[in-house]
Amino acid sequence: MAFPAFAIYSFLYLYPALSNLLYSTQRWDGVTKPEFIGLKNFIHLLTDDDLFMKVLSNNIRFAIIVVVLQTGFGLLFATFLTENSKTNIFLRTVYFFPTILSSVSVGLIWTFLYDPNYGFINATLKAIGLDKLALNWLGDSKYSLYAVAVTQIWFHTGQMVVIYVAGLQQIPAELYEAAEVDGATRWQQFKNITWPMALPTTAVIVAYTTIQTFRAFDLVYAMTQGGPLNSSDLLVTLVYNTAFVGYKFGYAAAQTIFLVLLVMLVTWLQRRTLRIDYGDKK
Amino acid sequence: MKTKGLSTFASLRAGVVALVATALVITPLAVAHAADAPTFGKACTTEGVSTGQSTSSLICQTGSNGKLTWQRVRLGSTNAKPVAASSAPDGTIEFHHWRPEDKVVLQGIIDKFETANPGTHINQVIMSSVDYTNLAYAKISVNKKAAVFVTSRGGQFNQFYAGGLLADLSNQRFMKQNVIASALTPGTVNGKVYGLPYQSLFNNPLYNAELFAKQGWKVPTTWTQTLAFCKTAKAAGFIPFAWPGATRGNAGQIINSFLMNSAPDLATLTDRITAIDTGKADLLSPWFVEMANKYKAMADAGCFPANPTGYNDTVAPADFASGKAAIYPTGTFGMSTVTKLNPAMSGKMKMMSMITTDAKPLYQGITNNTFILSVNAKSSSTDQKIAAAFISFLAQAENAQAYAVGTSQHVSIINVDYSANIDLLNTSDIMGKKLLLAPRFLFNNVNNVRNPLEDALIAIAGGADVTKTLTDTSKTIKQGLTS
Repeated sequence: MAFPAFAIYSFLYLYPALSNLLYSTQRWDGVTKPEFIGLKNFIHLLTDDDLFMKVLSNNIRFAIIVVVLQTGFGLLFATFLTENSKTNIFLRTVYFFPTILSSVSVGLIWTFLYDPNYGFINATLKAIGLDKLALNWLGDSKYSLYAVAVTQIWFHTGQMVVIYVAGLQQIPAELYEAAEVDGATRWQQFKNITWPMALPTTAVIVAYTTIQTFRAFDLVYAMTQGGPLNSSDLLVTLVYNTAFVGYKFGYAAAQTIFLVLLVMLVTWLQRRTLRIDYGDKK
Repeated sequence: MKTKGLSTFASLRAGVVALVATALVITPLAVAHAADAPTFGKACTTEGVSTGQSTSSLICQTGSNGKLTWQRVRLGSTNAKPVAASSAPDGTIEFHHWRPEDKVVLQGIIDKFETANPGTHINQVIMSSVDYTNLAYAKISVNKKAAVFVTSRGGQFNQFYAGGLLADLSNQRFMKQNVIASALTPGTVNGKVYGLPYQSLFNNPLYNAELFAKQGWKVPTTWTQTLAFCKTAKAAGFIPFAWPGATRGNAGQIINSFLMNSAPDLATLTDRITAIDTGKADLLSPWFVEMANKYKAMADAGCFPANPTGYNDTVAPADFASGKAAIYPTGTFGMSTVTKLNPAMSGKMKMMSMITTDAKPLYQGITNNTFILSVNAKSSSTDQKIAAAFISFLAQAENAQAYAVGTSQHVSIINVDYSANIDLLNTSDIMGKKLLLAPRFLFNNVNNVRNPLEDALIAIAGGADVTKTLTDTSKTIKQGLTS
């Protein structure tokens, strides 16, 4: 019974993954015959590619900002929306709404909002006398990455709210009732009941968001195309450009393998840090 | 009654006086206008200005007496008049292309061709542009019936040439007499013509002629005038150049104008670009630094909009269409966007040369083309004759005109009347100028050289330090080229 599933998995996932491993040891433009060059792609990637290091740094910063804020806002909103009242169900729908939009549309809408000369954000800042904060959000290399990160957070926080609400609803109400009887404040209830009980959900969200931030492509492409001067370039946009604009498929394969290893490492570290026990050692 | 009669007489007298006065004003104006009208052999004032792309068009050039006079434009490879289409033998061939948007217009021309050549049939085989890029060579190389096809400039054309698929069309008279010679470059290899670059683009700035007239501005024709114009236009409250610095594709159009007069001759320019493209030289080469400094000078003169690096190609045409900006520096392909945004702009746009030198310019404008029509060298001789006849049919002014008007683009054919499309008509005089095939695309290494190089120039226009930006980008390019 398992064989057909394994065959499909092998054909669709295992074979491309192993092929990618092979390509990473080759110099290949996608057309002519590949040339085997051993580990040269990896050596160049790690020792003589400032752009890759810059983009790696961008992606790590992007991941930290998005993971922390997206998870934080998700949990914050979810704690207020756990009860299944009509208002809460309506608000959950409102928060979730951006998630169903096309990422390219979201990117274009936020590009308009961020427009330095005509955009809503700067117009509002100027209207309330905060002219100095009216910045060239996407056109200045100092802010572009953070501007895209804000859009990413807006885009996906609703999704996290829904996952958190599902997790928080599993916490027995008796725990809160007992805490109230003992005179626990809302903060103490959060600290001692909600947070520890929501930790498995948090771990899932953090791992999911981390992977999401390391494969973020469409928003960046729609909003900045990685610019200005690669300041908002992320690893996947770099891999895309290396392969499909630069026709360096071997080098792009090496970048991809580095990306996969990095995501595995980060996810493992997160799991260790959050001390999640999924019961697999029982 | 008497009073009324006097009043009537007074009105009549006032009318006559007004009529005479108007006539007195109009007559000298008309005479003056007639004197200004370009006339063969008469003096002219602005070198390079031409009246169009027909065999009767004139161009203002320095004559043998050393003075600027109106002279006949030589558009074709020879001075001979265009020839009629050749007749096709019976048979059926395929026409492969990637222009689904042109299908109807082309079918109209094919129907006409088949009527003129009973017994001959042409079937359009259309792929998406992506499929065509990836699959056309493989498909056409094994399909002898694909007797006529298109290729895109550069890589694909070279691929078909290297594969021996392009028949030599150098001796076809229509190539010499019906086609604007300057447009033939992308279809020419070692002096032999292997294809007809049919649709022509002109990557030069569009300007709002009505706004210029209202403000009393003259179109700048030198670098100094360009900077002075920017200051004047900005002081009057306009955006001089609606330059979309946030959209690399169109922001990079002006690099063509900067490049075209950055070297003493084309060979030097090509060598310089190749040196950077292959890593033999970097962006700190003096000529490139000089060009980067000109971007900075434009920024300092207020040529660009506020926050140029965040100004995208949605806002730029909107500012131009609404009259907030004087110049939209992209190309003829930008006109349809502008008229969609504001239909009232139709007829108000003209095309200018962006001259970035105070010396005599080597080139006056940029041209490019979308596709090149070729004959399959592997097809049978009968099918090749049908294909060549069909291309010669497309090279007839009336058919080219149908294509041009139907697709709202210029074509490379002589004597085409663009009067059915006022914007094409108003910008067609650029064809009479000395044009260079868009040199931006001589940077073949798009990902590792052209994109970072253009990003650097955009950053400089946005206020980044010239030396630091070029140094950093040179390093990025060098590392990219060795990966």
